[in-house]
Amino acid sequence: MTSSSGAARKNLSKIACNRLQKELVEWQVNPPTGFKHKVTDNLQRWVVEVIGAPGTLYANETYQLQVDFPENYPMEAPQVIFLHPAPLHPHIYSNGHICLDILYDSWSPAMTVSSICISILSMLSSSTTKQRPEDNDRYVKNCRNGRSPKETRWWFHDDKV
Amino acid sequence: MGPNAAAAKQAEKLRINGNTYFKKDRFGAAIDAYTEAITLCPNVPIYWTNRALCHLKRNDWERVEEDSRKAIQLDSNSVKAHYMLGLALLQRKESAKGIKELEKALDLGRGANPKGYMVEEIWQELAKAKYHEWERLSSKRSWELQSLKEACESALKEKHFLEFSQREGFVDDPTTAHSEQLEALEVVFNIAAEADTPTEVPDYLCCRITLDIFHDPVITPSGLTYERAVILEHLQKVGKFDPITREPLDQSQLVPNLAIKEAVQAFLDKHGWAYKVD
Repeated sequence: MTSSSGAARKNLSKIACNRLQKELVEWQVNPPTGFKHKVTDNLQRWVVEVIGAPGTLYANETYQLQVDFPENYPMEAPQVIFLHPAPLHPHIYSNGHICLDILYDSWSPAMTVSSICISILSMLSSSTTKQRPEDNDRYVKNCRNGRSPKETRWWFHDDKV
Repeated sequence: MGPNAAAAKQAEKLRINGNTYFKKDRFGAAIDAYTEAITLCPNVPIYWTNRALCHLKRNDWERVEEDSRKAIQLDSNSVKAHYMLGLALLQRKESAKGIKELEKALDLGRGANPKGYMVEEIWQELAKAKYHEWERLSSKRSWELQSLKEACESALKEKHFLEFSQREGFVDDPTTAHSEQLEALEVVFNIAAEADTPTEVPDYLCCRITLDIFHDPVITPSGLTYERAVILEHLQKVGKFDPITREPLDQSQLVPNLAIKEAVQAFLDKHGWAYKVD
């Protein structure tokens, strides 16, 4: 199998493991509205189904988010991308990378998978046009050899959209 | 240089040699070096705790206990000495005494300088011991409650049977009262078992980063409380800001949150299951 998403990952630290187990339990008891976690035995990679909120451009559309946790989560943000096909959105590239500050520079260890999901859904819900970012082709070409979005130097689009 | 100063200097050299052997896992050689240091200067607690740690690595618990006790005599505030003594006592099934020593170590270890900070390590051991103790006591309590409940139920049934047989003719009243009493009894016993029923630790006793119950809570100028070890890691690795409010934050601004510390202790005293560490 040649799965080449990101470099070889180190195992989760003890803190990361404990914290993810707690997040998982909390998610099962109290999942964020509009999301479904596909349960697997892999604590380090979650695949989450997102359903577009009613009354928005993405109503009734279903997408999949892939969340990969680094060894020293939550001190470091998880890598969050949309699996193919990614929604058409001015901040989402066709390779699934998401331009959202909390996933990179503005990450804080007090955030959780659940709060990330809510931010992503609100980003989708507030969109007024279904289109790719202007620099989509250039960006996606640059990422061709499996670069992680966390290695990108993001220049954040304004957050009004 | 007087003879005492010379001895002290020589003993320090021996300690440093001992530490070098220790780092190479040569515990026998380290023990010899510390023993010589102790012969020269028997009143330096760190020589005793260092030697105790070597004995610990070799699972020689009797000697761990001896050396830790000696170190505590010399310095009753030694975190390491209380910690190792606690472990040694737990090894020989003295759980109550062992737990007491670990609690002492935890108390002294909170707020210790970050370099020698070992609260997380102490917590793990203390929590394990406390959880076992809770398992033992709570199963005893639940067994006692269960047999008391059965006794009450059969007494009520007997009473009902007597009343029923005495006043044949007006049957409906005692029967309703009887089933109500049985229901009330059920409620009473459920309440009695509540403290021992594992549920969730309230959010206000949990750190927003670890999502776990506080071990050593510190409060920031924003009024938010975090686990000391992880907020320090955050300030070092992520940035100098409060993780929730994003206000600027420096290590020197962290203050122990004693009220939360006590609330955690009160909760744990009542709900021993919350000591569970996975």
